[in-house]
Amino acid sequence: MLLKRLTQAMGPSGFEDEVRGILREEVSPYVDAIYTDVLGTLICEKGRSQPGPCVMLDAHMDEVGLMVVGVENSGLLRFRPLGGVDPRILVAKRVRIGSSKLPGVIGSKPIHLQKPDEQKHPIPEDELFIDIGAKDKEDALANVQLGDVAVFDTLYDTIGDGCVKAKSFDDRVGCYILSEILKKSYAVPLVGAFTVQEEVGLRGATAAAHRIAPDIAIALEATVCFDGPFVPSHSEGTRLHGGPALTVQDGRTVADVRFLRFMMETATKHNIPYQLRRVKGGSNDFAAIQKSREGVVGGAISIPLRYMHAPAQIVSSKDVENAIRLVDAILQEIASGNWVEERFAN
Amino acid sequence: MKELIKSLCEHIAPPGGERALSNELLEKVRDVAHQTSIDRLGNVIATKNGDGPHVVLMAHADQSGVMIMDIADKGFLRIIGAGNLEPGRLVGCQVVFQNGVKGVVQLEANTKDAEIRFDHLFVDIGKSSKASASELVHIGLSGVIVAPFTELGATRICGGSMDNRVGCAIAITAFRDLAAMNRHVSVVFTAMQTVGARGVGAATFALSPDLAIVVDAGPCDDVPGHDVSSTELGKGPIIQVMDGTAIVSVRIRRHLEESAKKKGIAAQFGVWPKGSADTDAGAIQLTKAGVAVGGVHYPARYVGSTSTVVDVQDAQNAAILIVEAASSYEG
Repeated sequence: MLLKRLTQAMGPSGFEDEVRGILREEVSPYVDAIYTDVLGTLICEKGRSQPGPCVMLDAHMDEVGLMVVGVENSGLLRFRPLGGVDPRILVAKRVRIGSSKLPGVIGSKPIHLQKPDEQKHPIPEDELFIDIGAKDKEDALANVQLGDVAVFDTLYDTIGDGCVKAKSFDDRVGCYILSEILKKSYAVPLVGAFTVQEEVGLRGATAAAHRIAPDIAIALEATVCFDGPFVPSHSEGTRLHGGPALTVQDGRTVADVRFLRFMMETATKHNIPYQLRRVKGGSNDFAAIQKSREGVVGGAISIPLRYMHAPAQIVSSKDVENAIRLVDAILQEIASGNWVEERFAN
Repeated sequence: MKELIKSLCEHIAPPGGERALSNELLEKVRDVAHQTSIDRLGNVIATKNGDGPHVVLMAHADQSGVMIMDIADKGFLRIIGAGNLEPGRLVGCQVVFQNGVKGVVQLEANTKDAEIRFDHLFVDIGKSSKASASELVHIGLSGVIVAPFTELGATRICGGSMDNRVGCAIAITAFRDLAAMNRHVSVVFTAMQTVGARGVGAATFALSPDLAIVVDAGPCDDVPGHDVSSTELGKGPIIQVMDGTAIVSVRIRRHLEESAKKKGIAAQFGVWPKGSADTDAGAIQLTKAGVAVGGVHYPARYVGSTSTVVDVQDAQNAAILIVEAASSYEG
């Protein structure tokens, strides 16, 4: 199962190789050309010589992770986050390190030994370490090098009513949606970009957008969802099962209103549920693509994701399915010539 | 100049919503331009072909505002910022949305002044249910603070959109003068500057200027609480040394300084640390293989607040300085 394979693969920013391998194998039979750029972004071209605006679909392959930056004499590993990791969620988690996927545990002082004051505060990042069971520094360095990366050790599974649980839905769910779309055919020039290093600053998308020079771009993402009973409506971001989320403004983009209207109208026309993302924080690759060259029209379609950047995350299978339907409908509408900028300009 | 500023101030143009102002801006320059366009990001561009290096004047069209991000059960709106407005300053202000709907910004009960964030604010548009409010407004609709153009005596003016309609007026005036001199000149009214200089890069990429001159509000500190001021209202245009986005090359800065001298205009210098007066300059400077950039700004009091005070004479002198510098620039 593709989504399972993608989420269980290892791919922190800059180390996307395993994910790229899976995607290359998966989509190769369906595209005209497939290649990587110098940063490692996997670019897939399909029907590029057809008439019509060139559409770039973007999904980033990388996930947040940890990087080993030191080894103590005791053999314990010091690390630093790669991307936005909340240190408070790290304590006592299982991780896998390096391409050999060496198992490790993020250790911490047990409650029995903590002083009353220590129990009141989260353990600071510099007091956390990864334990790989090494007996000393030399033993540790026989298995791990500085610069090796680690990701959470989480298995994909179905959970509850119509949900799935895994690590790294951000943004393997986007990669999954893009793969499914690339398996279909549309009467528009289409370029899929599985980008690198989004979590450290939209770096892969910046170079990819310059190379591809699209007319229209859509980032396929996972986005914050915290729809608990104790959260007011304006603080939940999105709702699970509420359909794919469209952005009005985030930390790095103000929506292109015309394309936003086009996407909303398309969803309504095709009877696809959607929601507007109700939070300013966060961003995605579209922010970088929008500013590329002479500017690019487009937006983002995001899957509501509970517990973003945490070891175990939850998405709704229905939301994923509806996102695929929405991207499919948008491409059909563009192919039919129904995206006309002026028509959506108020 | 005052009338021009006044007419530009009548439009609502939050970041991403600059198109409400685009036509009026185009009308002010179309008759002297060879090409005009609005690009994909909403930058409004006019070019006059002519002699000399291609000088591009850059003034941002957008103003800071707010955006609706939720409509609550009783018809109250929840908002996020769009630009640099500080949430604490908005309490009690009126806001007008892009479709003309007005409301009052207020604060959740039991919030201390020091803690005010956008999540504590709401807008009352006079509706009592989510359904009736939803008939008037929608998530993603933007608005600006109601603070109309007002004259303060003979030469000073204030209002909520001074930053940067004054800059647009200066750029229009200078562009027209340079066109009349048959110089090769463009003007760009840039989009989405207040959210972080997002529009200008695309226009710079398209135009490849030989020299870009940014025109923006230069915050001045000649107000109670400062013993010594570095920039003052009414003391002439501000030549940018550096802001949080760009250090202007000494060659360009000297050229601007000499141009002011040649015209007998008193000028001041702007040295602004990051965050205090960030402009489009950095995004321009780092486009393609690099672009020569300078800044000629007008002194403005209370930048970032809901109403800014400007002296029209400073604006007039900024335009004269820009025309001199652009027409004598040799590349």
